Amino acid sequence: MSLDVQSRQADNGATVVAPTGRLDVAGAPALKDAIAEAVKNGPARIVIDMEGVSFVDSTGLGSVIAALKQIRSSQGELRLAAPNQQVRVVLELTTLDRVFPYFATVEEALAGL
Amino acid sequence: MRSKHEAFEFHATLDDLDEGLDVLHRSIERLRQATGRAADDRPLMLFETALGEIGSNVLTHGRPAGAERPVDYRLRFVRGVVEASLTDAGAPVHEHLAREMPGHEHESGRGLAMARSLLDELGYERDGGVNRWRLVKRL
Repeated sequence: MSLDVQSRQADNGATVVAPTGRLDVAGAPALKDAIAEAVKNGPARIVIDMEGVSFVDSTGLGSVIAALKQIRSSQGELRLAAPNQQVRVVLELTTLDRVFPYFATVEEALAGL
Repeated sequence: MRSKHEAFEFHATLDDLDEGLDVLHRSIERLRQATGRAADDRPLMLFETALGEIGSNVLTHGRPAGAERPVDYRLRFVRGVVEASLTDAGAPVHEHLAREMPGHEHESGRGLAMARSLLDELGYERDGGVNRWRLVKRL
């Protein structure tokens, strides 16, 4: 099952990147490509909408860390929205929840971004 | 209501990364259905997370170029304990077993540390020319 990634522009100009499927070793490159495209084309204020992500592994998490580095290097900001229970557990287990602020909904993540 | 005497077995050979990962996750779904567990059953979700880590390592590194031997995968559930075994023909991986969780800035290297903390037991042995992984968790 490959990862499908859709991107859209929110009303405040931020980019919402929405992957659907498993964000794992097979799906991570698709997210990296989408983030690279979003950073290239516009303001580096990005929300990754995790609602459609059914499962994340450490490689998928690595692609989110790579995105964070890329976005911060351009003085931008990255937020995660709507992670499911499995994603939250992985973030907490790796203590990356201290690095990635995550929000219950995309709307909450976009507020003030 | 679940029975304490329920049992489940699954076996597959895996020779492709994407399809192999699909099979691993499908096997967990079949176990979930066979044992009547909820979609958000936390112990099984933790086991699936560990299986995803070891499985992706094995499917990525356990099939060296030229090797025709597929990864052998077995899953069984007996008396409340789930156990998975993965056997591959890749290089030995002893030096990685004690790896600690890397710092926040690192993009890789978390898989084995995650799996260790999610399981009751993570076993590894080099047996002849193959790696044998054993993942155990009481559900």
